Amino acid sequence: MPARLVTVWRFRHFWLSLAGMDLRVRYRRSVLGIGWSVLHPVVMTAVFCVAFASWLGTGDWRTAAPFYLTGLAVWDVIKQSAVQGSLTFLRNEPYIRQSPLPLAVYTLRTSLGTATHFGIALGVAVIAAGVLHPSDHLTPLYAAWAVVPAAGLLAVFCWSATALVAVANVYFHDTQHLAEVGFGIGFFLTPIIYSKERLPERGLAWVADANPVVAFLDVIRDPILSGEPPSTVAFARAAGLTVVAAAAALAALARFERRLVFHL
Amino acid sequence: MPAEIDLQDVHLRFRVRSAMRVSLKEYLVRGLFRPSANPPVEIHALRGVTLRVEEGERLGVIGHNGAGKSTLLKVIAGVYPPTAGTRRVTGRVCSLFDLMVGFEMEASGWDNIRFRSYLQGETPRTIRNKVQQIAEFSELGRFLDVPLKYYSAGMLVRLAFSIASAAEPEVLLIDEALAAGDAAFRVKARERITELKQAARLMVLVSHDLNALPELCTSVAWMERGAIRMLGPCGEVIPAYRASTGRGGPVGAAA
Repeated sequence: MPARLVTVWRFRHFWLSLAGMDLRVRYRRSVLGIGWSVLHPVVMTAVFCVAFASWLGTGDWRTAAPFYLTGLAVWDVIKQSAVQGSLTFLRNEPYIRQSPLPLAVYTLRTSLGTATHFGIALGVAVIAAGVLHPSDHLTPLYAAWAVVPAAGLLAVFCWSATALVAVANVYFHDTQHLAEVGFGIGFFLTPIIYSKERLPERGLAWVADANPVVAFLDVIRDPILSGEPPSTVAFARAAGLTVVAAAAALAALARFERRLVFHL
Repeated sequence: MPAEIDLQDVHLRFRVRSAMRVSLKEYLVRGLFRPSANPPVEIHALRGVTLRVEEGERLGVIGHNGAGKSTLLKVIAGVYPPTAGTRRVTGRVCSLFDLMVGFEMEASGWDNIRFRSYLQGETPRTIRNKVQQIAEFSELGRFLDVPLKYYSAGMLVRLAFSIASAAEPEVLLIDEALAAGDAAFRVKARERITELKQAARLMVLVSHDLNALPELCTSVAWMERGAIRMLGPCGEVIPAYRASTGRGGPVGAAA
């Protein structure tokens, strides 16, 4: 494992440049370019504010907008890590067939792209919270302290998800479709456009307990909106999930590192 | 440390399906009630290959299509791990095979030069001078600013060869990469290959050009059905192989 990590680092220019190219290609010839990463959650949030804010009890739009923006940022990065991540090894097949680089190199290519969009969306959410819901707590220093460690955990969790679904999709090609269906259903079972407190009212408290997305909403959204640091329990839960996911991903990569090329 | 390739009793087996799509029914009831309609097929691509190539040697590999020549190169390169036996390669490996594979078609020629150079282990510092040399060798000029999806096949070959051959290899693996581009470029490519061979400390070359091999190689391995049938000086192995093809040799299992 240490030797593979050294190789991943030695070839960092390769996957960093490919990740950069992916971002450039995605917005080539687009008028707004990477501005779409800003516009997309803003438009979705505007729709949610108009359609659902009063209905779902998320309150005044000035309060609701940062709530939606943060929820969408966390949801999208996890969803894209799984859905786009499932294609990672199929998309990089020509490189895998040519060069004996560790498979983690290709998962990092995918993860860097999704992490970049998450960073932009989260930045928009933090700015929106500061502008629309001004209070003493949301200073840049506080935002960094509250959000950066949790966002780091989320980045590792998302990389792990990418690695796991990427391996699974090579052996079972329906993984991507299953992930899309699962996330389509999961969106409504996750407190993104409604508050977590509404789940127990419907007898769905277990959803909040079982849903890993909720753990990351607790440590990213709540501090931004409430001004309170995440509780030790919430942070430990997110950290625990991240450790378990990362261990599973590393084990999967180690197990299939040498065999996967034959199944592409 | 001297460059060296040491394969000891290397076997390579893998399983593939004749049709890549596997139905849900196949997943759920496979093997329970009736034989699978699309059973995995085991390929025994390399069978007990023992090979030692030392510093300064130039090994040619010959054999019919499907004899396992390209698979052998990929095992040496580390792309395919042996399922039995041991592989030990000392030295920085440069592979000149599948030249056309692995281009980013949406990216420009300049970007692809960087990607491929980084894949060969270069860094921004080490490719600073090389990028311009590769561009000049390819003679693609302003087309390097254009995404590769607008290139002709010949232009792609030029670019691929220019990048791949710019490496400074210790262990050079070549898989029939000599026919690159149009006639004029092919002359340049041959000269470049000759320079590479001189620079490399060790070379393994897969080729069907039996006339050229004695000039390029110090020894030849004749592969048949995934195994080495004969290994020795060019003057002994190539005539034996010619005699075999005259009788119409077999076609093996793996590419």
